Amino acid sequence: MKDTVLAYELQQVSFAYHPQQQILDNINLRITAGSWVTLVGANGSGKSTLAKLLGGLLAANAGKIYVEGTEMNQESITHLRPRIGMVFQNPDNQFIGATVEEDIAFGLEGRCLPRDEMVERVKRYADKLEIGHLLSKHPAELSGGQKQRVAVAATLAMEPGIVIFDEASSMLDEKARGELQLIMREMSESGGYTIISITHDAEEILASDRAIVLKDGGVAADVSPLELFRNQELLSSCRLIAPFRVRLIQELSSRGIELDPGQDIEEVSEQLCRYISSK
Amino acid sequence: MRDKLLFGRCIDTGSPIHRLDPRAKITGMILYLIAIIAVGSWPMLLVTVVFSIVYMLATRIPLKYFVKAAKPLWVLMVFIFVVQSLTVESGEVVLQIGGWALYAGGLKSGFIAAARMALLVSFTAILTFTTTPGLLNQGLDGVLKPLQKIGIKTQRLTLMMSIALRFIPTILDETHKILKAQAARGADIKELPWKEKGKLLLSLLVPVTVSAFRRAEELVLSMESRGYIVGAPRSEYHLLTWQTKDTWFVLSYVLLVAVVLTYRFI
Ligand SMILES: Nc1ncnc2c1ncn2[C@@H]1O[C@H](COP(=O)(O)OP(=O)(O)OP(=O)(O)O)[C@@H](O)[C@H]1O
Ligand SMILES: [Mg+2]
Repeated sequence: MKDTVLAYELQQVSFAYHPQQQILDNINLRITAGSWVTLVGANGSGKSTLAKLLGGLLAANAGKIYVEGTEMNQESITHLRPRIGMVFQNPDNQFIGATVEEDIAFGLEGRCLPRDEMVERVKRYADKLEIGHLLSKHPAELSGGQKQRVAVAATLAMEPGIVIFDEASSMLDEKARGELQLIMREMSESGGYTIISITHDAEEILASDRAIVLKDGGVAADVSPLELFRNQELLSSCRLIAPFRVRLIQELSSRGIELDPGQDIEEVSEQLCRYISSK
Repeated sequence: MRDKLLFGRCIDTGSPIHRLDPRAKITGMILYLIAIIAVGSWPMLLVTVVFSIVYMLATRIPLKYFVKAAKPLWVLMVFIFVVQSLTVESGEVVLQIGGWALYAGGLKSGFIAAARMALLVSFTAILTFTTTPGLLNQGLDGVLKPLQKIGIKTQRLTLMMSIALRFIPTILDETHKILKAQAARGADIKELPWKEKGKLLLSLLVPVTVSAFRRAEELVLSMESRGYIVGAPRSEYHLLTWQTKDTWFVLSYVLLVAVVLTYRFI
Protein backbone atom coordinates (compact mmCIF):
# COMPACT_ATOMS: atom_id res chain seq x y z
CA MET A 1 0.00 0.00 0.00
CA LYS A 2 2.88 2.35 0.75
CA ASP A 3 4.17 2.36 -2.82
CA THR A 4 0.88 2.94 -4.57
CA VAL A 5 0.24 6.50 -5.66
CA LEU A 6 -2.90 8.03 -4.25
CA ALA A 7 -5.13 10.17 -6.42
CA TYR A 8 -7.13 11.17 -3.37
CA GLU A 9 -6.80 10.96 0.33
CA LEU A 10 -9.64 12.28 2.49
CA GLN A 11 -9.07 12.74 6.20
CA GLN A 12 -12.10 13.31 8.39
CA VAL A 13 -13.88 15.40 5.79
CA SER A 14 -17.19 16.97 6.80
CA PHE A 15 -19.51 19.23 4.89
CA ALA A 16 -22.81 21.02 5.48
CA TYR A 17 -24.67 23.52 3.30
CA HIS A 18 -26.46 24.72 6.42
CA PRO A 19 -24.96 24.32 9.91
CA GLN A 20 -27.96 22.36 11.22
CA GLN A 21 -27.89 19.78 8.42
CA GLN A 22 -24.68 17.76 8.11
CA ILE A 23 -24.47 16.26 4.59
CA LEU A 24 -21.10 14.54 4.90
CA ASP A 25 -19.75 13.58 8.27
CA ASN A 26 -16.20 12.51 8.95
CA ILE A 27 -15.36 10.83 5.64
CA ASN A 28 -12.08 8.98 5.35
CA LEU A 29 -11.09 7.63 1.96
CA ARG A 30 -8.08 6.66 -0.10
CA ILE A 31 -8.38 6.35 -3.84
CA THR A 32 -5.50 4.80 -5.78
CA ALA A 33 -4.34 6.57 -8.92
CA GLY A 34 -5.55 4.81 -12.05
CA SER A 35 -8.46 3.07 -10.35
CA TRP A 36 -12.14 3.41 -11.16
CA VAL A 37 -14.36 4.05 -8.17
CA THR A 38 -18.13 4.32 -8.25
CA LEU A 39 -20.05 6.27 -5.63
CA VAL A 40 -23.50 4.88 -4.97
CA GLY A 41 -26.25 5.73 -2.53
CA ALA A 42 -29.87 6.79 -2.31
CA ASN A 43 -31.07 10.15 -3.65
CA GLY A 44 -29.88 12.94 -1.39
CA SER A 45 -27.19 10.82 0.26
CA GLY A 46 -24.56 13.40 -0.66
CA LYS A 47 -22.91 11.85 -3.72
CA SER A 48 -22.93 15.03 -5.79
CA THR A 49 -21.79 17.01 -2.78
CA LEU A 50 -18.82 14.69 -2.34
CA ALA A 51 -18.08 14.96 -6.07
CA LYS A 52 -18.03 18.75 -5.82
CA LEU A 53 -15.68 18.55 -2.85
CA LEU A 54 -13.39 16.23 -4.80
CA GLY A 55 -13.54 18.55 -7.79
CA GLY A 56 -12.71 21.56 -5.67
CA LEU A 57 -16.03 23.24 -6.47
CA LEU A 58 -16.91 23.25 -2.77
CA ALA A 59 -14.59 23.55 0.19
CA ALA A 60 -14.90 21.14 3.12
CA ASN A 61 -16.02 22.57 6.47
CA ALA A 62 -13.60 20.29 8.27
CA GLY A 63 -10.93 17.77 7.41
CA LYS A 64 -8.36 17.56 4.67
CA ILE A 65 -8.45 16.51 1.04
CA TYR A 66 -5.17 15.59 -0.63
CA VAL A 67 -5.06 15.44 -4.40
CA GLU A 68 -2.07 13.49 -5.67
CA GLY A 69 -0.32 14.28 -2.42
CA THR A 70 -1.09 18.02 -2.35
CA GLU A 71 -3.54 19.39 0.17
CA MET A 72 -6.45 21.17 -1.47
CA ASN A 73 -6.92 24.75 -0.31
CA GLN A 74 -7.47 28.27 -1.61
CA GLU A 75 -3.93 28.58 -2.92
CA SER A 76 -3.36 25.11 -4.30
CA ILE A 77 -6.72 24.85 -6.05
CA THR A 78 -5.61 26.82 -9.11
CA HIS A 79 -2.82 24.33 -9.68
CA LEU A 80 -4.91 21.31 -8.81
CA ARG A 81 -7.98 22.17 -10.85
CA PRO A 82 -6.36 21.36 -14.21
CA ARG A 83 -5.71 17.84 -12.86
CA ILE A 84 -9.41 17.22 -12.27
CA GLY A 85 -12.09 17.06 -14.95
CA MET A 86 -15.82 16.84 -14.31
CA VAL A 87 -18.69 15.64 -16.45
CA PHE A 88 -22.18 16.38 -15.20
CA GLN A 89 -25.62 14.93 -15.70
CA ASN A 90 -27.41 17.36 -18.01
CA PRO A 91 -25.82 17.43 -21.48
CA ASP A 92 -27.37 20.83 -22.26
CA ASN A 93 -26.25 22.67 -19.16
CA GLN A 94 -22.58 21.96 -19.60
CA PHE A 95 -22.41 23.02 -23.22
CA ILE A 96 -20.67 26.37 -22.79
CA GLY A 97 -19.52 27.18 -26.30
CA ALA A 98 -21.79 27.98 -29.21
CA THR A 99 -20.46 25.14 -31.30
CA VAL A 100 -18.77 21.81 -30.58
CA GLU A 101 -15.28 23.11 -31.32
CA GLU A 102 -15.79 26.25 -29.25
CA ASP A 103 -17.01 24.15 -26.36
CA ILE A 104 -13.99 21.87 -26.46
CA ALA A 105 -11.73 24.94 -26.75
CA PHE A 106 -13.34 26.77 -23.82
CA GLY A 107 -11.12 25.29 -21.13
CA LEU A 108 -8.05 25.53 -23.34
CA GLU A 109 -8.60 29.25 -23.90
CA GLY A 110 -8.57 29.69 -20.14
CA ARG A 111 -5.16 28.01 -20.08
CA CYS A 112 -3.90 30.53 -22.60
CA LEU A 113 -2.78 27.79 -24.97
CA PRO A 114 -1.49 29.07 -28.30
CA ARG A 115 -4.00 28.77 -31.11
CA ASP A 116 -2.17 26.06 -33.06
CA GLU A 117 -2.09 23.80 -30.05
CA MET A 118 -5.75 24.47 -29.30
CA VAL A 119 -6.76 23.54 -32.84
CA GLU A 120 -4.68 20.39 -32.67
CA ARG A 121 -6.09 19.33 -29.31
CA VAL A 122 -9.68 20.09 -30.28
CA LYS A 123 -9.27 17.91 -33.34
CA ARG A 124 -7.44 15.12 -31.52
CA TYR A 125 -9.96 14.78 -28.70
CA ALA A 126 -12.95 15.23 -30.99
CA ASP A 127 -11.66 12.39 -33.15
CA LYS A 128 -11.03 10.28 -30.08
CA LEU A 129 -14.66 10.73 -29.02
CA GLU A 130 -15.86 10.22 -32.62
CA ILE A 131 -17.34 13.68 -32.93
CA GLY A 132 -14.73 14.97 -35.37
CA HIS A 133 -17.40 15.44 -38.06
CA LEU A 134 -19.55 17.59 -35.75
CA LEU A 135 -17.08 20.33 -34.92
CA SER A 136 -19.12 23.23 -36.30
CA LYS A 137 -22.49 21.99 -35.01
CA HIS A 138 -24.61 23.84 -32.49
CA PRO A 139 -25.97 22.11 -29.37
CA ALA A 140 -29.49 22.24 -30.81
CA GLU A 141 -28.35 20.06 -33.70
CA LEU A 142 -26.93 17.31 -31.50
CA SER A 143 -28.43 14.36 -29.66
CA GLY A 144 -28.02 13.99 -25.91
CA GLY A 145 -25.41 11.29 -26.40
CA GLN A 146 -23.44 13.46 -28.81
CA LYS A 147 -23.56 16.42 -26.43
CA GLN A 148 -22.30 14.22 -23.64
CA ARG A 149 -19.41 13.10 -25.88
CA VAL A 150 -18.62 16.78 -26.41
CA ALA A 151 -18.55 17.26 -22.64
CA VAL A 152 -16.15 14.32 -22.27
CA ALA A 153 -13.97 15.58 -25.13
CA ALA A 154 -13.88 19.07 -23.58
CA THR A 155 -12.86 17.54 -20.25
CA LEU A 156 -10.22 15.20 -21.67
CA ALA A 157 -8.77 17.95 -23.87
CA MET A 158 -7.65 19.65 -20.66
CA GLU A 159 -5.62 16.47 -20.04
CA PRO A 160 -6.65 15.81 -16.45
CA GLY A 161 -5.43 12.84 -14.43
CA ILE A 162 -8.72 12.48 -12.59
CA VAL A 163 -12.17 12.54 -14.17
CA ILE A 164 -15.34 12.69 -12.12
CA PHE A 165 -18.62 11.66 -13.78
CA ASP A 166 -21.71 12.76 -11.85
CA GLU A 167 -24.52 10.64 -13.28
CA ALA A 168 -23.19 11.50 -16.70
CA SER A 169 -25.09 8.69 -18.39
CA SER A 170 -28.39 8.99 -16.55
CA MET A 171 -30.16 11.29 -19.02
CA LEU A 172 -29.11 9.28 -22.04
CA ASP A 173 -31.00 6.57 -23.86
CA GLU A 174 -29.96 2.93 -23.56
CA LYS A 175 -27.64 2.98 -26.58
CA ALA A 176 -25.90 6.27 -25.79
CA ARG A 177 -25.49 5.16 -22.18
CA GLY A 178 -23.75 1.98 -23.30
CA GLU A 179 -21.48 4.02 -25.58
CA LEU A 180 -20.52 6.42 -22.81
CA GLN A 181 -19.76 3.49 -20.53
CA LEU A 182 -17.57 2.02 -23.24
CA ILE A 183 -15.66 5.31 -23.36
CA MET A 184 -15.21 5.16 -19.59
CA ARG A 185 -13.98 1.57 -19.88
CA GLU A 186 -11.43 2.59 -22.48
CA MET A 187 -10.30 5.50 -20.34
CA SER A 188 -9.87 3.17 -17.40
CA GLU A 189 -8.00 0.56 -19.44
CA SER A 190 -5.62 3.16 -20.85
CA GLY A 191 -4.37 3.53 -17.27
CA GLY A 192 -4.03 7.28 -17.68
CA TYR A 193 -7.06 8.26 -15.64
CA THR A 194 -8.42 7.88 -12.15
CA ILE A 195 -12.17 7.68 -12.64
CA ILE A 196 -14.77 8.53 -10.05
CA SER A 197 -18.29 7.91 -11.25
CA ILE A 198 -21.58 8.49 -9.52
CA THR A 199 -24.25 6.25 -10.91
CA HIS A 200 -27.41 4.25 -10.42
CA ASP A 201 -26.52 2.04 -13.35
CA ALA A 202 -25.60 -1.55 -12.53
CA GLU A 203 -23.42 -2.00 -15.62
CA GLU A 204 -21.38 1.08 -14.78
CA ILE A 205 -20.86 -0.15 -11.25
CA LEU A 206 -19.84 -3.60 -12.48
CA ALA A 207 -17.28 -2.11 -14.85
CA SER A 208 -15.57 -0.27 -12.01
CA ASP A 209 -12.98 -1.57 -9.57
CA ARG A 210 -14.62 -0.50 -6.37
CA ALA A 211 -17.96 0.70 -5.08
CA ILE A 212 -18.33 3.15 -2.21
CA VAL A 213 -21.79 3.32 -0.67
CA LEU A 214 -22.79 6.60 0.95
CA LYS A 215 -25.47 6.62 3.59
CA ASP A 216 -26.43 9.02 6.37
CA GLY A 217 -23.45 11.23 5.67
CA GLY A 218 -20.91 8.45 5.94
CA VAL A 219 -19.37 5.58 4.02
CA ALA A 220 -21.71 2.64 4.60
CA ALA A 221 -19.66 0.21 2.57
CA ASP A 222 -16.47 0.14 0.55
CA VAL A 223 -16.54 -3.06 -1.46
CA SER A 224 -15.93 -4.63 -4.86
CA PRO A 225 -18.87 -4.32 -7.27
CA LEU A 226 -19.59 -8.05 -7.04
CA GLU A 227 -19.69 -7.90 -3.28
CA LEU A 228 -22.09 -4.98 -3.49
CA PHE A 229 -24.43 -6.99 -5.69
CA ARG A 230 -24.23 -9.89 -3.28
CA ASN A 231 -25.39 -7.76 -0.37
CA GLN A 232 -29.16 -7.53 -0.56
CA GLU A 233 -29.41 -5.05 2.27
CA LEU A 234 -26.95 -2.59 0.70
CA LEU A 235 -28.62 -2.98 -2.66
CA SER A 236 -32.04 -2.08 -1.41
CA SER A 237 -30.69 0.85 0.60
CA CYS A 238 -29.40 2.37 -2.61
CA ARG A 239 -32.32 1.11 -4.69
CA LEU A 240 -30.17 -1.03 -6.92
CA ILE A 241 -31.03 -4.33 -8.53
CA ALA A 242 -28.36 -6.84 -9.47
CA PRO A 243 -28.32 -7.51 -13.23
CA PHE A 244 -29.60 -10.89 -14.33
CA ARG A 245 -26.20 -12.33 -15.21
CA VAL A 246 -24.84 -11.36 -11.81
CA ARG A 247 -27.71 -13.10 -10.05
CA LEU A 248 -27.14 -16.09 -12.30
CA ILE A 249 -23.44 -16.43 -11.49
CA GLN A 250 -24.22 -15.94 -7.81
CA GLU A 251 -26.76 -18.76 -7.90
CA LEU A 252 -24.30 -20.97 -9.78
CA SER A 253 -21.53 -20.05 -7.36
CA SER A 254 -23.61 -21.25 -4.44
CA ARG A 255 -23.83 -24.55 -6.32
CA GLY A 256 -20.07 -24.72 -6.76
CA ILE A 257 -19.79 -23.37 -10.32
CA GLU A 258 -17.56 -20.31 -10.42
CA LEU A 259 -18.04 -17.98 -13.41
CA ASP A 260 -16.92 -14.47 -14.22
CA PRO A 261 -19.69 -11.86 -14.79
CA GLY A 262 -17.82 -10.47 -17.81
CA GLN A 263 -19.30 -7.59 -19.72
CA ASP A 264 -22.57 -9.06 -20.90
CA ILE A 265 -24.82 -12.07 -20.84
CA GLU A 266 -23.06 -13.51 -23.90
CA GLU A 267 -19.76 -13.84 -22.08
CA VAL A 268 -21.48 -15.63 -19.22
CA SER A 269 -23.27 -18.07 -21.50
CA GLU A 270 -20.03 -18.82 -23.34
CA GLN A 271 -18.35 -19.67 -20.05
CA LEU A 272 -21.33 -21.77 -19.13
CA CYS A 273 -21.18 -23.67 -22.45
CA ARG A 274 -17.48 -24.29 -21.98
CA TYR A 275 -18.16 -25.53 -18.47
CA ILE A 276 -20.87 -27.90 -19.65
CA SER A 277 -18.83 -29.31 -22.54
CA SER A 278 -15.86 -29.83 -20.23
CA LYS A 279 -18.00 -32.08 -18.06
CA MET B 1 -43.36 29.34 -31.40
CA ARG B 2 -40.88 27.55 -33.62
CA ASP B 3 -40.33 30.67 -35.71
CA LYS B 4 -39.02 32.52 -32.71
CA LEU B 5 -36.27 29.98 -32.42
CA LEU B 6 -34.73 31.81 -35.37
CA PHE B 7 -33.55 34.27 -32.77
CA GLY B 8 -29.83 34.01 -32.32
CA ARG B 9 -29.43 31.30 -34.91
CA CYS B 10 -26.78 31.40 -37.54
CA ILE B 11 -27.97 30.27 -40.97
CA ASP B 12 -24.91 29.10 -42.82
CA THR B 13 -25.00 29.76 -46.56
CA GLY B 14 -21.29 30.50 -46.91
CA SER B 15 -21.95 33.91 -48.48
CA PRO B 16 -19.31 36.65 -48.56
CA ILE B 17 -21.20 38.40 -45.73
CA HIS B 18 -20.76 35.33 -43.55
CA ARG B 19 -17.01 35.52 -44.00
CA LEU B 20 -16.63 39.15 -42.97
CA ASP B 21 -14.92 40.06 -39.74
CA PRO B 22 -17.58 40.19 -36.99
CA ARG B 23 -16.15 43.52 -35.82
CA ALA B 24 -16.85 44.97 -39.26
CA LYS B 25 -20.42 43.69 -39.10
CA ILE B 26 -21.03 45.10 -35.64
CA THR B 27 -19.56 48.47 -36.61
CA GLY B 28 -21.72 48.41 -39.74
CA MET B 29 -24.82 47.77 -37.67
CA ILE B 30 -24.07 50.69 -35.37
CA LEU B 31 -23.69 52.96 -38.39
CA TYR B 32 -26.90 51.55 -39.84
CA LEU B 33 -28.66 52.43 -36.62
CA ILE B 34 -27.49 56.04 -36.97
CA ALA B 35 -28.65 56.15 -40.59
CA ILE B 36 -32.05 54.70 -39.72
CA ILE B 37 -32.60 57.27 -36.99
CA ALA B 38 -31.78 60.08 -39.45
CA VAL B 39 -34.10 58.86 -42.23
CA GLY B 40 -37.08 61.21 -42.47
CA SER B 41 -38.11 61.48 -46.10
CA TRP B 42 -39.32 59.28 -48.93
CA PRO B 43 -36.14 59.44 -51.04
CA MET B 44 -33.94 58.50 -48.10
CA LEU B 45 -36.29 55.72 -47.06
CA LEU B 46 -36.00 54.38 -50.60
CA VAL B 47 -32.21 54.61 -50.48
CA THR B 48 -32.11 52.75 -47.18
CA VAL B 49 -34.52 50.08 -48.40
CA VAL B 50 -32.45 49.47 -51.52
CA PHE B 51 -29.25 49.39 -49.48
CA SER B 52 -30.77 46.91 -47.01
CA ILE B 53 -32.20 44.63 -49.68
CA VAL B 54 -28.90 44.51 -51.55
CA TYR B 55 -27.12 43.31 -48.40
CA MET B 56 -29.92 40.90 -47.46
CA LEU B 57 -29.70 39.34 -50.91
CA ALA B 58 -25.92 39.16 -50.60
CA THR B 59 -26.30 36.90 -47.55
CA ARG B 60 -28.08 34.33 -49.80
CA ILE B 61 -30.54 33.79 -46.98
CA PRO B 62 -34.17 33.79 -48.25
CA LEU B 63 -35.78 37.19 -47.59
CA LYS B 64 -38.65 35.51 -45.78
CA TYR B 65 -36.34 34.83 -42.84
CA PHE B 66 -35.76 38.56 -42.44
CA VAL B 67 -39.48 39.20 -42.59
CA LYS B 68 -39.97 36.51 -39.96
CA ALA B 69 -37.39 38.16 -37.72
CA ALA B 70 -39.44 41.37 -37.67
CA LYS B 71 -42.78 39.61 -37.33
CA PRO B 72 -42.94 39.36 -33.52
CA LEU B 73 -42.82 43.17 -33.40
CA TRP B 74 -45.70 43.92 -35.78
CA VAL B 75 -47.98 45.05 -32.95
CA LEU B 76 -45.38 47.60 -31.92
CA MET B 77 -45.07 48.80 -35.51
CA VAL B 78 -48.82 49.26 -35.86
CA PHE B 79 -48.77 51.12 -32.55
CA ILE B 80 -45.99 53.44 -33.70
CA PHE B 81 -47.83 54.05 -36.97
CA VAL B 82 -51.09 54.91 -35.25
CA VAL B 83 -49.52 57.19 -32.64
CA GLN B 84 -47.40 59.06 -35.18
CA SER B 85 -50.31 59.46 -37.62
CA LEU B 86 -52.54 60.88 -34.95
CA THR B 87 -50.09 63.24 -33.32
CA VAL B 88 -48.29 64.85 -36.24
CA GLU B 89 -50.35 67.73 -37.62
CA SER B 90 -48.88 68.92 -40.88
CA GLY B 91 -49.85 68.93 -44.54
CA GLU B 92 -53.34 68.52 -45.90
CA VAL B 93 -56.23 67.13 -43.97
CA VAL B 94 -56.97 63.69 -45.35
CA LEU B 95 -59.85 62.72 -43.15
CA GLN B 96 -61.97 64.62 -40.67
CA ILE B 97 -64.28 63.04 -38.10
CA GLY B 98 -65.83 65.58 -35.77
CA GLY B 99 -63.00 67.35 -33.98
CA TRP B 100 -60.42 64.77 -35.16
CA ALA B 101 -58.34 65.32 -38.22
CA LEU B 102 -55.89 63.03 -39.93
CA TYR B 103 -53.13 64.87 -41.77
CA ALA B 104 -51.09 63.69 -44.76
CA GLY B 105 -47.91 64.60 -42.91
CA GLY B 106 -49.00 62.44 -40.00
CA LEU B 107 -49.61 59.46 -42.24
CA LYS B 108 -46.24 59.95 -43.88
CA SER B 109 -44.27 60.17 -40.67
CA GLY B 110 -46.26 57.27 -39.22
CA PHE B 111 -45.44 55.12 -42.21
CA ILE B 112 -41.78 56.10 -42.22
CA ALA B 113 -41.46 55.44 -38.48
CA ALA B 114 -42.99 51.98 -38.80
CA ALA B 115 -40.89 51.20 -41.85
CA ARG B 116 -37.72 52.27 -40.04
CA MET B 117 -38.56 49.94 -37.18
CA ALA B 118 -39.21 47.04 -39.57
CA LEU B 119 -35.98 47.74 -41.45
CA LEU B 120 -33.93 47.99 -38.30
CA VAL B 121 -35.20 44.73 -36.83
CA SER B 122 -34.99 42.70 -40.00
CA PHE B 123 -31.68 44.18 -41.10
CA THR B 124 -29.88 43.69 -37.82
CA ALA B 125 -30.93 40.05 -38.08
CA ILE B 126 -28.15 39.87 -40.70
CA LEU B 127 -25.72 40.01 -37.81
CA THR B 128 -27.07 36.95 -36.01
CA PHE B 129 -27.96 35.10 -39.20
CA THR B 130 -24.46 35.35 -40.65
CA THR B 131 -22.28 35.17 -37.54
CA THR B 132 -21.92 32.24 -35.18
CA PRO B 133 -22.52 33.26 -31.57
CA GLY B 134 -18.90 32.58 -30.71
CA LEU B 135 -17.62 34.93 -33.39
CA LEU B 136 -20.28 37.46 -32.51
CA ASN B 137 -19.06 37.36 -28.97
CA GLN B 138 -15.49 37.82 -30.00
CA GLY B 139 -16.41 40.64 -32.34
CA LEU B 140 -18.29 42.37 -29.58
CA ASP B 141 -15.28 41.89 -27.36
CA GLY B 142 -13.13 43.58 -29.97
CA VAL B 143 -15.53 46.47 -30.51
CA LEU B 144 -15.95 47.05 -26.78
CA LYS B 145 -12.27 46.73 -25.95
CA PRO B 146 -11.65 50.51 -26.00
CA LEU B 147 -14.11 50.73 -23.08
CA GLN B 148 -11.68 48.76 -20.91
CA LYS B 149 -9.49 51.86 -20.84
CA ILE B 150 -12.17 53.68 -18.86
CA GLY B 151 -12.50 50.82 -16.43
CA ILE B 152 -15.51 48.92 -17.79
CA LYS B 153 -15.25 45.15 -17.41
CA THR B 154 -16.13 44.27 -20.98
CA GLN B 155 -15.25 40.59 -20.54
CA ARG B 156 -18.14 40.10 -18.14
CA LEU B 157 -20.46 41.91 -20.48
CA THR B 158 -19.60 39.79 -23.47
CA LEU B 159 -19.71 36.59 -21.43
CA MET B 160 -23.19 37.49 -20.25
CA MET B 161 -24.25 38.21 -23.81
CA SER B 162 -22.89 34.97 -25.13
CA ILE B 163 -24.52 32.89 -22.40
CA ALA B 164 -27.83 34.63 -23.03
CA LEU B 165 -27.51 33.91 -26.74
CA ARG B 166 -26.56 30.34 -25.99
CA PHE B 167 -29.50 29.69 -23.66
CA ILE B 168 -32.38 31.63 -25.14
CA PRO B 169 -33.07 28.98 -27.79
CA THR B 170 -32.80 26.21 -25.18
CA ILE B 171 -35.21 27.96 -22.84
CA LEU B 172 -37.68 28.75 -25.63
CA ASP B 173 -37.49 25.14 -26.69
CA GLU B 174 -38.24 24.06 -23.14
CA THR B 175 -41.20 26.45 -22.91
CA HIS B 176 -42.46 24.96 -26.14
CA LYS B 177 -42.20 21.47 -24.68
CA ILE B 178 -44.10 22.45 -21.54
CA LEU B 179 -46.78 24.10 -23.67
CA LYS B 180 -47.06 20.93 -25.70
CA ALA B 181 -47.35 18.87 -22.53
CA GLN B 182 -50.17 21.20 -21.40
CA ALA B 183 -51.84 20.75 -24.78
CA ALA B 184 -51.64 17.01 -24.34
CA ARG B 185 -53.52 17.47 -21.08
CA GLY B 186 -56.27 19.24 -22.96
CA ALA B 187 -55.22 22.86 -22.61
CA ASP B 188 -54.53 23.92 -26.18
CA ILE B 189 -53.29 27.48 -25.85
CA LYS B 190 -54.56 28.49 -29.28
CA GLU B 191 -58.16 27.71 -28.43
CA LEU B 192 -58.22 29.19 -24.94
CA PRO B 193 -59.90 32.54 -24.25
CA TRP B 194 -57.50 35.42 -23.56
CA LYS B 195 -57.87 35.30 -19.82
CA GLU B 196 -57.08 31.59 -19.68
CA LYS B 197 -54.20 32.11 -22.05
CA GLY B 198 -52.75 34.61 -19.61
CA LYS B 199 -53.20 32.24 -16.71
CA LEU B 200 -51.51 29.41 -18.58
CA LEU B 201 -48.55 31.59 -19.55
CA LEU B 202 -48.24 32.77 -15.96
CA SER B 203 -48.21 29.18 -14.77
CA LEU B 204 -45.33 28.55 -17.19
CA LEU B 205 -43.32 31.36 -15.71
CA VAL B 206 -42.48 29.50 -12.51
CA PRO B 207 -41.19 26.21 -13.97
CA VAL B 208 -39.31 27.99 -16.74
CA THR B 209 -37.65 30.41 -14.33
CA VAL B 210 -36.75 27.66 -11.91
CA SER B 211 -35.23 25.60 -14.66
CA ALA B 212 -33.34 28.61 -16.02
CA PHE B 213 -31.79 29.15 -12.61
CA ARG B 214 -30.86 25.50 -12.33
CA ARG B 215 -29.29 25.61 -15.76
CA ALA B 216 -27.32 28.71 -14.82
CA GLU B 217 -26.10 27.03 -11.66
CA GLU B 218 -24.96 23.92 -13.49
CA LEU B 219 -23.36 25.98 -16.23
CA VAL B 220 -21.35 27.89 -13.65
CA LEU B 221 -20.16 24.62 -12.08
CA SER B 222 -19.16 23.33 -15.44
CA MET B 223 -17.30 26.51 -16.36
CA GLU B 224 -15.54 26.53 -13.04
CA SER B 225 -14.49 22.92 -13.40
CA ARG B 226 -13.00 23.83 -16.76
CA GLY B 227 -10.88 26.42 -15.02
CA TYR B 228 -12.81 29.56 -15.86
CA ILE B 229 -11.87 32.56 -13.77
CA VAL B 230 -13.64 35.87 -14.40
CA GLY B 231 -11.25 38.46 -15.72
CA ALA B 232 -8.31 36.06 -16.04
CA PRO B 233 -6.35 36.29 -19.28
CA ARG B 234 -7.47 33.90 -22.01
CA SER B 235 -6.21 33.01 -25.43
CA GLU B 236 -8.64 32.96 -28.35
CA TYR B 237 -9.67 29.99 -30.41
CA HIS B 238 -10.98 32.02 -33.32
CA LEU B 239 -8.49 34.32 -34.91
CA LEU B 240 -10.02 37.54 -36.19
CA THR B 241 -8.27 39.02 -39.20
CA TRP B 242 -9.33 42.36 -40.56
CA GLN B 243 -9.12 42.42 -44.34
CA THR B 244 -9.58 45.04 -47.03
CA LYS B 245 -13.09 43.77 -47.74
CA ASP B 246 -14.01 44.52 -44.13
CA THR B 247 -12.87 48.09 -44.56
CA TRP B 248 -14.97 48.38 -47.75
CA PHE B 249 -17.95 46.92 -45.94
CA VAL B 250 -17.72 49.51 -43.16
CA LEU B 251 -17.11 52.28 -45.70
CA SER B 252 -20.37 51.42 -47.48
CA TYR B 253 -22.17 52.13 -44.23
CA VAL B 254 -20.25 55.36 -43.70
CA LEU B 255 -21.45 56.38 -47.16
CA LEU B 256 -25.04 55.53 -46.28
CA VAL B 257 -24.86 57.60 -43.12
CA ALA B 258 -23.22 60.47 -45.00
CA VAL B 259 -25.91 60.47 -47.71
CA VAL B 260 -28.78 60.32 -45.23
CA LEU B 261 -27.33 63.02 -42.98
CA THR B 262 -26.46 65.33 -45.86
CA TYR B 263 -29.97 65.04 -47.27
CA ARG B 264 -31.43 65.72 -43.88
CA PHE B 265 -29.42 68.76 -42.88
CA ILE B 266 -28.70 70.45 -46.17
N1 LIG C 1 -26.80 23.93 -2.98
C1 LIG C 1 -27.39 23.31 -1.95
N2 LIG C 1 -27.85 24.01 -0.90
C2 LIG C 1 -28.43 23.41 0.15
N3 LIG C 1 -28.64 22.07 0.24
C3 LIG C 1 -28.22 21.32 -0.78
C4 LIG C 1 -27.58 21.89 -1.94
N4 LIG C 1 -27.28 20.90 -2.79
C5 LIG C 1 -27.71 19.76 -2.22
N5 LIG C 1 -28.26 19.98 -1.02
C6 LIG C 1 -28.80 18.97 -0.09
O1 LIG C 1 -27.76 18.11 0.23
C7 LIG C 1 -28.20 16.77 0.29
C8 LIG C 1 -27.33 15.92 -0.59
O2 LIG C 1 -27.46 16.34 -1.93
P1 LIG C 1 -26.65 15.70 -3.12
O3 LIG C 1 -27.03 16.45 -4.34
O4 LIG C 1 -25.22 15.65 -2.77
O5 LIG C 1 -27.24 14.23 -3.16
P2 LIG C 1 -27.03 13.08 -4.24
O6 LIG C 1 -26.60 11.89 -3.51
O7 LIG C 1 -26.20 13.56 -5.34
O8 LIG C 1 -28.52 12.84 -4.75
P3 LIG C 1 -29.05 12.44 -6.20
O9 LIG C 1 -28.93 10.96 -6.30
O10 LIG C 1 -30.46 12.88 -6.19
O11 LIG C 1 -28.23 13.18 -7.20
C9 LIG C 1 -29.65 16.79 -0.13
O12 LIG C 1 -30.43 16.69 1.05
C10 LIG C 1 -29.84 18.12 -0.76
O13 LIG C 1 -31.14 18.60 -0.52
MG1 LIG D 1 -26.48 13.95 -7.45
